[in-house]
Amino acid sequence: MTPEAQQMIEYIVEEVIRRPGTQIDENTPLVSSGLIDSMSLVDILLKLEDVTRNRIPAGKVQAKDMDTVELMLATSQRVGKPRL
Amino acid sequence: MNEFKIHTPASSTGLHTPLTSPLAFRTIPEALEAAPASQPFVTMWKNEQEVESVTFGDFRALVSGQAVFLREHGVTSGDTVILVMPQGISLMAVFTAALYLGAIPAILAYPNFKVDTSKYRFGLSGVSANLKAHLVVVDDAFPKELVAHVSVGDRCNLAKTRADLPPPQTPIAPPHLNPDRIAFIQHSAGTTGLQKGVALTHAAVLRQINHLASSLRLTSEDRIYSWLPLYHDMGLIACFMLPLICHLPIVMQSPTNWVMQPKTMLQLISEYRCSLAWIPNFAFQFLARSARPDDRSQYDLSSLRMLVNCSEPVRAASMDEFLAAYQPCQLNPHVLQTCYAMAETVFAVTQSGWNGLTEPARLWVDAGVLRKEHFARPVAPDASGGLCLVSSGACLPGTQVYIVSENGDHLPSGHVGEIVIHSDAMLDGYFNRADLTANALRDGSYLSGDLGFALDGELYVIGRKKDLIIVGGENIYPQDIEEIISRHPSIHDGRAIAMGVYNSKLGTQEIVAVAEVNDERDLQCTMEVERELKMSIKSELGVAVRAIYLKPPKWIIKSTAGKPARSTTREKLLSEHLELSVDAQGGFDS
Repeated sequence: MTPEAQQMIEYIVEEVIRRPGTQIDENTPLVSSGLIDSMSLVDILLKLEDVTRNRIPAGKVQAKDMDTVELMLATSQRVGKPRL
Repeated sequence: MNEFKIHTPASSTGLHTPLTSPLAFRTIPEALEAAPASQPFVTMWKNEQEVESVTFGDFRALVSGQAVFLREHGVTSGDTVILVMPQGISLMAVFTAALYLGAIPAILAYPNFKVDTSKYRFGLSGVSANLKAHLVVVDDAFPKELVAHVSVGDRCNLAKTRADLPPPQTPIAPPHLNPDRIAFIQHSAGTTGLQKGVALTHAAVLRQINHLASSLRLTSEDRIYSWLPLYHDMGLIACFMLPLICHLPIVMQSPTNWVMQPKTMLQLISEYRCSLAWIPNFAFQFLARSARPDDRSQYDLSSLRMLVNCSEPVRAASMDEFLAAYQPCQLNPHVLQTCYAMAETVFAVTQSGWNGLTEPARLWVDAGVLRKEHFARPVAPDASGGLCLVSSGACLPGTQVYIVSENGDHLPSGHVGEIVIHSDAMLDGYFNRADLTANALRDGSYLSGDLGFALDGELYVIGRKKDLIIVGGENIYPQDIEEIISRHPSIHDGRAIAMGVYNSKLGTQEIVAVAEVNDERDLQCTMEVERELKMSIKSELGVAVRAIYLKPPKWIIKSTAGKPARSTTREKLLSEHLELSVDAQGGFDS
């Protein structure tokens, strides 16, 4: 697992899900499984920008592009632009 | 009797072209026909590269094309038509086309990617049967795998429309309709199981828009911004019917687009110089927290005249947080206003900020007295045990609000009771549900099921008497969630209770549920069962549940009738799980 994926997983478990004992990996569906609400994706997107050091342009990302940590990292790579 | 006085709006300043009174039109299509062809109408923003704009003339051509399409599918005057399309100009055109044919459109939420096709229970079969729908219209991008699951009944067809239908050579003329006939149906909740279709007449909609125009001091210079879904009254009435009838431009994005990057709302208001917008309470906090400080320096919110907090109980802390974040972006504090609205009164009942100069009234009350004695006893600001309430404003013209006790007696100022509304812009009834209509109306007044009190001509809304949960402005019936939980093999049928618990960090309610297992041994795999339940609820209703607490048999408190007792079970759950109460600190959960 990449350090970026590890950072994202830790953030999502500790700051978003907030239920002791919850375990997720890179491929765990998050929104479609009901583990997180789509409103939480805003914070996750900001975290993703920090972790990948990218800026993700407005209107380019949908919830389905953020359903797993692996998809999130791929999305940042696909539409993200390096932060100045 | 505790009747509200009607405020006279201050006249607007500046040299603006006066708006044509909405009451000059008999029907909604007549209002659209009167719009100047070159006047900008809808700008639909998808991203920086994809922006679609139409003038009123362009829109009329689209409406004509869609009207031909509906007619070709056998739609005639009086037929009901269900629209399941993504937010956008095409949806607005088909909706209006149905009005041009004298048909009755109803918009339902578009399925998102979270819907599990195998469990696709879109509720369309129930809704279309209740509405006796003639046609369900979807767009050409409607997921193919879902079409088979859209059960529309024997007498109802499914049709796919396209955005680029050519207009006919002779435009469709507006119909000669009785203004008191039903124009359209709006649904009062996002979930489908117990949805009630609120039937509204052309005349009621035009009267509501007329009252809104005066209370908001609308001028021809106004431009509206919205990310609100069109199946919700705030999106449909304030952000579609209002600009259509008053010939104003609207800048829109879809709610799914907005929720990913809420700051786009501020970007679009700055770029298009929008002056009016409505958002639910949670969005104030959401916006304050979701933009980086360096993004904020790009926004210029000086064009905003009114940003109205509506659809959820208003929280002072949410509005303060937004103001603190965006005042440096030239946001005038007087811009933040409040409104109390519902589908049954077309939209707004009250509105604050009539004079354009003052912020909504605030009142500090003793929280303990409010909860236990149902009375708003004023205390000093920031007093220990005090709670700050924000007024939802004064009644619109043609509207009276009464506060009544459980036995229907009118309550004096400051006493908490049910909010009862009488207005000249009321629902015609719940469509095909005379039984529900009879329960909701008493002597022509609507029993809102909301709790509040009146003071100094202003309405303070403090919670819900009915069980409805409101998440991010969306109404969720707890019964829909309980039904899904009860179906799980580990859960004792009928022994589940869902509730809304206010989360002060989010500024809205979160859904929490408690359910009894059949057998104590099932408690050994609670994580797994909870996960399965969350997945089912998400795939069937599209909503996320924060937590489902599984309890041993006989944990849930029963009422004398043998049914789960909601309020006492809720208190028991909150007392056992203090993490729920900690998050709710500062809020007022009725």
